[in-house]
Amino acid sequence: MPELDRSVLTSSPELPRSRAREILSNQQFLLFVVLIALMTYFYTRNHYFFTVGEFQNIFTDFSGYALLAVGEMFVIVAGGIDLSVGSTVAVSGVLGAWVMNGMMNGHWNQFWVLVVGTIICGIVGAIVGLFNALMITKAKLVPFVATLVTLSAGLGFALLFAQFFNSGQPVGNDPAAAVFSSKAIWVFTYPSIFIIAIVVIAGIVLHLTRYGRYTYAIGSNSFAARAAGINVQRHVGSIYVLSGFLAGLTGMFYFMQLGSGAPTSGDGFELTAIAAVVIGGASLTGGRGRMSGTVLGVFVLTVVTFGLVFINVPPAWTQIVVGGFIALAAALQSLRPSGRKSA
Amino acid sequence: MSEREAVLEVKSISKNYGSVQALTEVSFKAYAGEVIGLVGDNGAGKSTLIKALSGVHQPDSGEIFLDGERHNWKSPQEAIDSGIETLYQDSGLAPDLTIGSNVFLGREIMKKGLLGKLGFLDQKSMEAEALEDLAKVGISVPMSRRTVSQLSGGQRQAVAIGRAISWARKVILLDEPTNHLGARQAQEVLSVIEEAKKRGLCVIFISHTLPHVLQVTDRIVVMRLGQVVKDAPTSEFTAESLLASITGLSELQG
Repeated sequence: MPELDRSVLTSSPELPRSRAREILSNQQFLLFVVLIALMTYFYTRNHYFFTVGEFQNIFTDFSGYALLAVGEMFVIVAGGIDLSVGSTVAVSGVLGAWVMNGMMNGHWNQFWVLVVGTIICGIVGAIVGLFNALMITKAKLVPFVATLVTLSAGLGFALLFAQFFNSGQPVGNDPAAAVFSSKAIWVFTYPSIFIIAIVVIAGIVLHLTRYGRYTYAIGSNSFAARAAGINVQRHVGSIYVLSGFLAGLTGMFYFMQLGSGAPTSGDGFELTAIAAVVIGGASLTGGRGRMSGTVLGVFVLTVVTFGLVFINVPPAWTQIVVGGFIALAAALQSLRPSGRKSA
Repeated sequence: MSEREAVLEVKSISKNYGSVQALTEVSFKAYAGEVIGLVGDNGAGKSTLIKALSGVHQPDSGEIFLDGERHNWKSPQEAIDSGIETLYQDSGLAPDLTIGSNVFLGREIMKKGLLGKLGFLDQKSMEAEALEDLAKVGISVPMSRRTVSQLSGGQRQAVAIGRAISWARKVILLDEPTNHLGARQAQEVLSVIEEAKKRGLCVIFISHTLPHVLQVTDRIVVMRLGQVVKDAPTSEFTAESLLASITGLSELQG
């Protein structure tokens, strides 16, 4: 048999990538530049921006969105979408508050009230996530519709529970929790430290472990993942449970901020979470993106929102600026080389 | 049993999709070190058959034997575990993952010790071993951690085939491996098939490109409307007679 020349397989035509494109396609770098620029601008407008107190506030705002965006990141990398995280915050916060209120009336130790409350909120969130998972993997609803169902029904349940527990008012009254959650080490409040630790662990799981690898594989080509022997349905289901769980923990976070569980907390948060993931450079078609990008995305959104209020810009402008960021991020994505369509 | 045993035996399997009879009583045998061409017009049932053999779908009736042992795969994982690898048409790889990640998808190399038990991947070893495995079957792809989406069509196909061959222990199913490839790249794919044959694998090669089928196979199984209509050594076919049995013209002409 004649020896075949394999040079065709070895010599790959280098992709035409200009230097400018290279830099533009590094979204994390761009985001970082934007972040520095924003902070510099806010500082020039008001020198009190760079104080420990303000950064505590920024990190607190950041913590409220971070876990939602992290959960959303897993879902989006796997090629799905979770619209229900805001409602999950509400329903877990209200139910958790009810349990914690009962414990306080039973004169439990404050510390254990918070520990049990965190666990309850996490479990309630995971159960909501399980509903999403079952609708998507068993009833075969597309993720957008399934989680839209939960977005609507979840909020309804949160309002019903609040009606039932406390005639529609926020449930529970735990000023000690609010005091505890404002305690801080330098710029990080206690809850922020807890949440940042979870974000770091989630990033490690997504990028360095088999669980994360399967998440990318499914989002990139779910048929290939299934053909490679991955149990796609189970993995996808677990991701929605994870997203719900993280939203449940966020419910606990807002309970601690307010000292009570309000059915309206979490309203519209799903859009912020999705925006952060998109601004961070992840692709809504799945398979692409880095956790560091999502974290930067949350941080940029937090700083913009906080900073514009800080320099007394009317809040309506915040929405417009956020919209602009999303548009910019989407435009950058279309610039990036995509080998998907070329044969 | 004087004859050598078939590595893969399909006994009268049938499959319906609703009212559509995709496979009707399909039977054939395949031996180790043999390349079988599976041909037929669109809708003849080739892809359905491949999906049944690779565990993606379960046949409604019939039996599949591997080395004389009856199997009823419920998932691709079970077929893979039995020693069958499949290259699917156009969609066998995850474009956003690197070459190494794709080659090892579903059987990742884990870090040693506690980290590995916690699920941590040994990415370095995977990238290095993937290139080694691919080189062994005669495929060299550019070094560096490129994602598959950055490779050319021919390179992607080479990686997909190399992945299948380096993992296969008994049977390898190739669904249109030369599709969308240039003439020269297609020849290289065919030589990789020869390599798999030399390794003693049973190769089932599906293609619409009849010259490729005639060039590389030992035996050809022709399907039409979900049934096997002809099963004969490749030497008994000419380009014309093969085309005739695919389209059914041979019967009309007597």
